[in-house]
Amino acid sequence: MFFCTLIAALFLSLVAQHFFGAVPPWGARVFLMPIIFLYGALSFSTAGMLFLAFLTGVMWDLLHAQWIDDATELGVGWSVLVYAVLGALMSGMRPLFLRKRWEVHCLFSGVATSVLVLLEYLMISLRREPLHFDFSGVIWGRIVGAGVVALVLAPFAFFSLSYLAGLLGHQHYRPEKEENQI
Amino acid sequence: MRMRSKFIAAGVFLVAFLILVLGAGNPSSLRSLQSGFLGFLTPFLRSGSALERKFSAFREGLKKLEDLEDESVALRVANRELSATNQTLRGMEAENNRLRKALGYRGRAEFKLVPAQIIGRDISTWFNQVVIDRGSEDGVRRDMPVLTEEGLVGKTTLVSEHSSVVILISDENCKVAASVENSREQGILRGDRASSGSAPLVSLFFLSKQAGLKVGQKVLTSGVGGVYPSGILIGVVQDFRVRELDGAATLVPAVDLTGLQDLFIVVSDPR
Repeated sequence: MFFCTLIAALFLSLVAQHFFGAVPPWGARVFLMPIIFLYGALSFSTAGMLFLAFLTGVMWDLLHAQWIDDATELGVGWSVLVYAVLGALMSGMRPLFLRKRWEVHCLFSGVATSVLVLLEYLMISLRREPLHFDFSGVIWGRIVGAGVVALVLAPFAFFSLSYLAGLLGHQHYRPEKEENQI
Repeated sequence: MRMRSKFIAAGVFLVAFLILVLGAGNPSSLRSLQSGFLGFLTPFLRSGSALERKFSAFREGLKKLEDLEDESVALRVANRELSATNQTLRGMEAENNRLRKALGYRGRAEFKLVPAQIIGRDISTWFNQVVIDRGSEDGVRRDMPVLTEEGLVGKTTLVSEHSSVVILISDENCKVAASVENSREQGILRGDRASSGSAPLVSLFFLSKQAGLKVGQKVLTSGVGGVYPSGILIGVVQDFRVRELDGAATLVPAVDLTGLQDLFIVVSDPR
């Protein structure tokens, strides 16, 4: 039940992001999807995390793939891999999360969001002509700014999702519980 | 046991990923998938956009009645002026067609414009796109120009049944063939990657080094390339610089791309 709820939350966050303007002064964007996905990576097993990574990546790429002649500028599916890697890293910090120590995870949400934006920028820089990597203040402002915004929003998102998980009777995935059952 | 289930999960993930990548290799099926997803997203974007407009209308409603009355009077005057100008231009267009016909030229059909509203702004950091509430059911197709009464906005890229994605001229991937008013200079216009969201700028490249454009000169579409009709205002020159091989100019777009709400799609090309 909570898994379906999280999928719905991912979709709704994608819709909601269309109505948040760029944050001045550099135009950093508000990203909710990565935060919700990363919460899911903590909350579910590896299989669940990979499924969410696939879904999140596909939704993002389908909406943003730009066409140049008969091919997309960035291959559809690159986000899936990035989300899977970030999800795997976040899953590794599950023990702290289960002990209600969220600080590291909120910080990682900010870092992960900045990494997503940076990777996207590097890929389009490699793809577009002329080949050049412009790392002016505005560019860094957008990359870091997106992470800062995510860092600020993460505690609220984590709290809300944890509350929702409690309401729905969801137990966060515990690897040692699975081992005990075996 | 735990490792085994992880390997299985990873294996299934990789297979799904490979299917996705292989499927995405076929342009038509990928476009259909994108279009389908956009169509699925559209009702939610419309609802969100309607809520946003209600909220804006509520804020507007808090203005004093006097301000609203003044605004209403000014709009009525502007409307009458525009109608009169439009009338004159229609007459000139008819005369132009008659003369072209007399000279054996092909007559210019009128633009057929479909009005649209923006229901979603792009959420990506590096792409400048908007989602509008018109799609294939309204006669919209891919690569149709989009404009307002002020000038060029961009072109449609992805079209679903009831919505479309429009790439703005401030996007680096939106290239427009342009010419400079009162000059023989022609170039290619492109958005700037680091263009700030609040004041996007665009650049015109491949001008001659001796172009010497002046601040305030207008830049229009040249019609080359087959996508944009000629004569649509794009922007005005902000500065001109000489590069190693060519000249380039920075333009301020004629249309306020950040505050855009209503626009038109050119669904029939006059050519």
